[in-house]
Amino acid sequence: MAIRTTVVGSYPKPPDEGQTFTVRKTLHAIERGDATGDDLKRARDKLAARHIAEQEEAGIDLVTDGLARWDDILTPFARTIRGFEIGGLLRWFDNNVYYRRPICIGDLEWGGPSSVEDLRYAKSVTSKPVKAVLPGPVTFARLSVDEHYGDHDRFVEAIARVVAQEAFELEAAGADVIQIDEPALLDAPEDLQLAKEAIGTITSELKSTTTLLCTYFGDAKRLGRELFDLPVDGFGFDLISGPENANLIADAPSSKIVQAGVIDARNTKLEDATSVAATLEQLAQKIGEDALWASPSAGLEFLPREKARAKLHLLAEAARKVGA
Amino acid sequence: MKKPDLQGPGLWTTSVGSFPKPEYLTKARSRFARKEIDRAELRELEEKATREWIEFQDSIGTDVVVDGEMYRGDMVAFFAEEMPGLEIGGLVRSYGNRYYRKPIATGPVGRDHAITVDWWKFAQSLTDAPVKGMLTGPYTICDWSFNEHYDTRRDFVLDLARAVRDEALDLERAGARFIQIDEPAASTRMDELDLVIESMQIVTEPLSAHTITHICYGDFHHAYPKMLDIPVDQIDLEFANSEYSLLQDFEDAPFTKYIGLGISDVHSHELESVDELAEGIRRALKYIPADRIFVDPDCGLKTRTVDEAKEKLSNIRKAVDVVRAEL
Repeated sequence: MAIRTTVVGSYPKPPDEGQTFTVRKTLHAIERGDATGDDLKRARDKLAARHIAEQEEAGIDLVTDGLARWDDILTPFARTIRGFEIGGLLRWFDNNVYYRRPICIGDLEWGGPSSVEDLRYAKSVTSKPVKAVLPGPVTFARLSVDEHYGDHDRFVEAIARVVAQEAFELEAAGADVIQIDEPALLDAPEDLQLAKEAIGTITSELKSTTTLLCTYFGDAKRLGRELFDLPVDGFGFDLISGPENANLIADAPSSKIVQAGVIDARNTKLEDATSVAATLEQLAQKIGEDALWASPSAGLEFLPREKARAKLHLLAEAARKVGA
Repeated sequence: MKKPDLQGPGLWTTSVGSFPKPEYLTKARSRFARKEIDRAELRELEEKATREWIEFQDSIGTDVVVDGEMYRGDMVAFFAEEMPGLEIGGLVRSYGNRYYRKPIATGPVGRDHAITVDWWKFAQSLTDAPVKGMLTGPYTICDWSFNEHYDTRRDFVLDLARAVRDEALDLERAGARFIQIDEPAASTRMDELDLVIESMQIVTEPLSAHTITHICYGDFHHAYPKMLDIPVDQIDLEFANSEYSLLQDFEDAPFTKYIGLGISDVHSHELESVDELAEGIRRALKYIPADRIFVDPDCGLKTRTVDEAKEKLSNIRKAVDVVRAEL
């Protein structure tokens, strides 16, 4: 039996070498006043559909829309949540990628859905299960500026309440899996208890959707086994930037799903499918094949399109080799 | 620390490096990419645009001039294209709607010819003000490239450091008195700041020019004061984008080098007023004396329009005049 495969979230926006980069062109045209928001929506719909098709063609079991409409995982939410403004550019962890820092200037209130239409569109173009991605409250708070609450715990709790509303709407719209991204938690073990409550605020709103808490860009050893006390159905780990995560995964409770990032999403060098399969085999022996999902180490948008696609095919190939 | 070869009370004006390309040049670059014009035609327009930017900087009385990098695209790819061992990869996004071609190390990296010296000589021939030599630092070239060759990042960075040193030496021989080695990636990983320092030592050790490094977008609070160990004479930092929060760190650990004081946000269309810019300079003067301050925008201005960039530079110059009169 093959291991299930999925992606962590993002997928490259540029097309293959030599093809027309419609989304970029349309954004430039909008700046000049030569295109409209409708043109952009059409271009992004097409890109999202293409992202999903490429995952399907590679044999990925649980897909995302590649976050085709997002610049980063915070801005789409910071734009719609009342109480946030969008600030200056800051480096996205240790990548040559930058996000706009949200600035909290007032009480946070849900201002309508941020990502629900994206999910509906994704569901309309595939018969595969679709994963929605949400920013985790701790990461959201730590990557923002709080000029209003003046208290980290209260700020995180306020974010959790609005993200919970979004999660509720995503479930209603048919999200098969909701992945809550908490990469900042890796460097903030002191926030683990706070994260437990905040994640609980979100997942207690949900009835049937499978929930994952996902970290990447490092190892979770500073969080330790207490990480598994967070009220979600599964956990995502980056085994490339955090090779020691393999040890932590061995301690995962048998009831939990583990999404194991075994392909490097941040370097072009292609892995060897046999050695990736061996890694998956070892993990499967520890936690069981059914509990293991194979994924890249992070969103694939760090790579050029052709390389990202090659990695997806490699991931699926390695997953098929397990137990074969 | 090597004093800059400049007159006056300080608060010298300069720029971080890049300027926006005029429309005729961006069009020509697209046509060149489509092979509709040849290299000589493109070169002519690159020289025309360089001439215009140097005339503009001279017209507002800029103390240390840059060539504006009319002939460069991305700051890493420009060098990578000329260096053995590095291939130009596909497009990846850096933020918003901005993309760059990320190089890939596929073999041992080095330098077999001068990359920037001809352009530096051309720019310097157009002005009496000193023109900065502009290089991308070894740590940043490594950090902003994929690596399919080296076993460790250190091996990759140190090979690059020797290549960048050779280029810096060539610039100095050509007459450059100011050489900037940009390391925007230096603030990315605190556990690699030692590698930034080690590689910069290789680059600057044989130089007698005033050396500068530009660092941006990072968590300066963690990198400071250790970043003062980077062996350069001047560190250029963004203050507008970080709302001058770094100045608080100077309370505890004084800034001991020359500073490049970025006072204008390059990612905003908004034009800061002369009053606002002057106030930024005054805030810095509480921590650093005028004769150790260079004033400039936060970062390269290439993402602004030509008019926006000129307005920002003019206002910075006016703000400097206001504050100089108060010294």
